[in-house]
Amino acid sequence: MIAILKRELKSYFLTPIGYIYMGFFLLVAGVFFTFGNLITRSSQYTGFLGGILFIYLFAVPLLTMRLFSEEKRQRTDQLLLTSPISIPEIVLGKFLAAFTVYLITLVITVMYAVVVGVFGDLSFWETLGAYIGFIFIGASYISVGVFVSAGTENQLTSALVSFFSLLMIWLIDPISNSLPVELVAGVIFASLLVVALCAYIYLNTKNLYITLAVFLVGAIIITATYFIDKMVFIGFMRKFLSWFSLNKRYENFSMGLLKVDSLVYYLSFTGLFLFLTVRLIEKQRWV
Amino acid sequence: MIEAKDLVKRYGPHTAVDHATFKIERGEIVGFLGPNGAGKTTTMNMLTGYLSSTEGTVTVDGMNILEHPLEVKKRIGYLPENPPLYPEMTVREYLQFAGEIKKVPKQELAKRIDEVMHTVGITDVAGRLVKNLSKGYKQRVGLAQAMIGKPDILILDEPTAGLDPKQILEIRQLIKDLGKTHTVILSSHILPEVSAVCKRVLIINQGKIVADDTPENLAKRLLGGSHLQLRVDGSVQQVEGVLRKIPAVKNLSFKESQEPGTVELVVESDKDADIRRDVSKALGSAGLPILMMRSLDMTLEEIFLHLTTKEEEVAKV
Repeated sequence: MIAILKRELKSYFLTPIGYIYMGFFLLVAGVFFTFGNLITRSSQYTGFLGGILFIYLFAVPLLTMRLFSEEKRQRTDQLLLTSPISIPEIVLGKFLAAFTVYLITLVITVMYAVVVGVFGDLSFWETLGAYIGFIFIGASYISVGVFVSAGTENQLTSALVSFFSLLMIWLIDPISNSLPVELVAGVIFASLLVVALCAYIYLNTKNLYITLAVFLVGAIIITATYFIDKMVFIGFMRKFLSWFSLNKRYENFSMGLLKVDSLVYYLSFTGLFLFLTVRLIEKQRWV
Repeated sequence: MIEAKDLVKRYGPHTAVDHATFKIERGEIVGFLGPNGAGKTTTMNMLTGYLSSTEGTVTVDGMNILEHPLEVKKRIGYLPENPPLYPEMTVREYLQFAGEIKKVPKQELAKRIDEVMHTVGITDVAGRLVKNLSKGYKQRVGLAQAMIGKPDILILDEPTAGLDPKQILEIRQLIKDLGKTHTVILSSHILPEVSAVCKRVLIINQGKIVADDTPENLAKRLLGGSHLQLRVDGSVQQVEGVLRKIPAVKNLSFKESQEPGTVELVVESDKDADIRRDVSKALGSAGLPILMMRSLDMTLEEIFLHLTTKEEEVAKV
């Protein structure tokens, strides 16, 4: 793992991509800071940090796009996968390399906080909370990028798909706010979820009996819940989508609240996507 | 040492490797021979654990590659068809990385890098970027990568592809030398290469192993007796009548002739008998002029074509 991490870090700065990422991020962050804080003489630092989150939407795909896709294009994945090193080690090494570059770049922005602190009124705890939040939300973004990269052979495709995936995660909040909250809508949505699960199971196992069994269990659960507690279905769509909303949980951090459930959420999100990456790479060997 | 049992790889409806079974012992140099797309690379990818087999097992020193992947991978050094190199690294940096992921102990690594660089002859380019190297040097760096973890088995996929003739000779010599200390499996679609380097040949065609023997034995087994190809001015009946009287002649097989009014045939005779003079005299005195006579000493090239294009005929022999 250390070997992968070292090579990957080195390669960020032996190829232009590390500089492009840092340059792009720091340039846009600098512009935001100049116009948001310096020119307007505002010491609203958390507002600036909220803006930074938006830059990551574009910057993180740059950071992760080549991690696996470039290995596949150069066929160097043959070296990694035929060496006595496990796939989780490879995935973790690459993730940590991207995460390290992410952190180094993030640390540079602390300089802005110092400027605000010296010349203005910096709300210390909120800023600290926001930075801690960045560490965790960044890990989640990067894990999505790592996963996408493992599924593509082309850097550009990888970057675009990562960008759109992150964009979807971003849009979950505005979309879910406009979704219907009625009881019927909730029941229909829950039924659709069961059908989708059945379709997935059938396509993967080609086993009609298991699919039917899952369908039956799903139908029973929905019916039972309907009669026991109808309230579950009210706003169900919104609740379901918010499970995937990364940004909503970030708001707590920027208010200076360190919530354990949010930390656990980000860690599980990251862990899940890294696990899926491992599975994806293993699956590609069976194709 | 390394054993494949009923190895099958399917890509959807296409079967790339079809029940390949073979066993390779310590110290052998084995060549996989076959036309492009025969399944050589897929077989090698399964032996090294890069791909998983659809059916069948690969065991190395008694360990299944799926159950003990790390132990097995430690014992194998693999040079794929395109050497897996990182263009932005220098040769030494690259070998350092390769050594680290092959779990070479830290304190030995620097020494080990110097050793393999010396063995494959790349010491003078140690500080150069991989992307600036010529194809021949890249191949050597790839070979160095395969050797760095001191594996018992080296698997080399088309190790001389794309090299110039001088480099080909050098790499072949290198493989021969490596064969003294390693078990080597290499693949090629070029016959002289396999017969020059290998002591055993597995011929693969359409995913199946169609022959497994030494180059010399293959030639002997396939030939059976000696063969003489003839083109004679005359009819099939006349020629057959004359040749059947020669005692050493065992078999006659007639073929379509391109020239009208002539027959073309292959005369099979007892192994040691030289029937050329008898055939010539007999046909001459019968007034059937010989237009062409050629001794069919099958080269590996012909055996190969024979095996890969006309399997039915070979089965008869």
